[in-house]
Amino acid sequence: MNWSFVLSNAITLACIYGTLAIGISLTWSSLGLVNMAFGFIFALSGYGAWLASVNIAPQPAVVMAAGILTGALGGLFVCLLAFIPIHDKPNFPLRALIATLAISLIGNQALLWYFGPRAKSLPRLFGNWNADIFGVVVTSDKLGASASAIVLLTLILLWMRSSRRGLEIRAMMMNPHAASIVGIGVRRTGFYVMALTGSLAGLASVLLAQTYYVAPFSGITPMVKGLSIALVGGLGSVPGAVIGAVIIGLNEALTSTLLGGQYVLITQFLLIIIVLLVRPRGIAGLLDKAREA
Amino acid sequence: MSDAARNAVLDVRGLSAGWGPLRVIHDLDLTVFAGERIGMVGLNGHGKSTLFQAIAGLTGWQRGSILLNGFEVGRTRSQGPGRYTHQIVRRGLALIPQGDEIFHGLTVEEHLDSGAYTKVAWKERGPRKRKILQIFPPLAKLMKTPVGRLSGGERRMVSIGRGLMADADLFLVDEPSLGLAPKIGKSVVDALMAVELGSSAMVIAEQNLALLEGRVDRIIGMHAGKLKGEASASKSLMGGHR
Repeated sequence: MNWSFVLSNAITLACIYGTLAIGISLTWSSLGLVNMAFGFIFALSGYGAWLASVNIAPQPAVVMAAGILTGALGGLFVCLLAFIPIHDKPNFPLRALIATLAISLIGNQALLWYFGPRAKSLPRLFGNWNADIFGVVVTSDKLGASASAIVLLTLILLWMRSSRRGLEIRAMMMNPHAASIVGIGVRRTGFYVMALTGSLAGLASVLLAQTYYVAPFSGITPMVKGLSIALVGGLGSVPGAVIGAVIIGLNEALTSTLLGGQYVLITQFLLIIIVLLVRPRGIAGLLDKAREA
Repeated sequence: MSDAARNAVLDVRGLSAGWGPLRVIHDLDLTVFAGERIGMVGLNGHGKSTLFQAIAGLTGWQRGSILLNGFEVGRTRSQGPGRYTHQIVRRGLALIPQGDEIFHGLTVEEHLDSGAYTKVAWKERGPRKRKILQIFPPLAKLMKTPVGRLSGGERRMVSIGRGLMADADLFLVDEPSLGLAPKIGKSVVDALMAVELGSSAMVIAEQNLALLEGRVDRIIGMHAGKLKGEASASKSLMGGHR
């Protein structure tokens, strides 16, 4: 079998799923919200990108920007409906879980009603060529997907480390109570976080549509994968999510080569169960150097 | 100088506050003038922290008037603790909470930056940080260390430093020496006494009267949710009964 093929598949999947997982992880740790509507935002931005490719121009930049923008708008929409009205009510995590799940179900049906059940395909963003990296032949879509995911994630992480807004989000992740004491408004931060994570979902959607199609329910499986990667990595930890994404991507590529694509979810959840049995708080427990109170 | 001639930073009238069915503050009146440093003493559970939290809008419920720089920040409120806190902070309040309300993973420097979160303070955070390092020299070589790794005394310095970074007119300091070794606690309070207030004011809640005596403008006592007695700090309170 071709190990370099497995490896390049694994890295591509890891980049796409990692983008989703970091989005889910950020939302959970800063807002206390498990965003079940992430799959809906994912599908919505796929359609946004498709509309742009049909109506504006099938240029890579246009399609990608449209996907990211639609994702950010979708995130804001979810924030307005499921975070702003209920974030200071009792039992918020559970309520938000149900509210976002409802948005996801209604939204997916609305997409089905409006666009119909036939899957759409996006134009090829990265052309049709092969690159030879250290003797490994990598197709253009895989290379482009990995590169753009890595570039956007790096930009976002740098922004979070250096800017005032990034400090605001990180402060919210660590201690929301103390954050309000230094003057950080929870609702305003909610808008930033949801727009940011929504745009991550949009990017992942455009990238994954290079291999699959845009369909009303195309977001469900990626969301489940993103959520499980975020769990394996330890909710709230970006490095954890990256490591989790590499493990899950490797598992998916290996399973589909060795056993067949239909076994991917089985081996994936077995792996997740094993990891969580050994480290109940996820992989990031290893990396967390700071002492907890 | 008559009270009316001076500028009130904080004017609390008829404040009651508490958590759920529990009423901790009972119809409390308090005025703090610009440039004043006030010590607040009282036993555990008599409402010092709750008063501070009510001023910041963090209690479970509250009613009564709180004028901060003449602007009404108190309102009758039965839920949503913390919902308006960031707006009150923007009006010029700096609350330095009891114990460790810190961000474990941020470094000391990022932590101080977060204290200067309001727009005005953010622009001049460089000079402000230098000022904090003068007040707490031990922090200088810890700037890149995550706060979660610091000792209790260092964490308290970071917490107080974060509060002092703000562009505030009123500093509320809750139990600065609590849980620290006596020597470290004293040095922390000493640092607070050395802060130049200018036109802003500071209220320090502290159980250890000896740390405050003779060094603050006045001392007020708090008992069962009400203010009981007030003394200018030159008088000795140690001999009498509260």
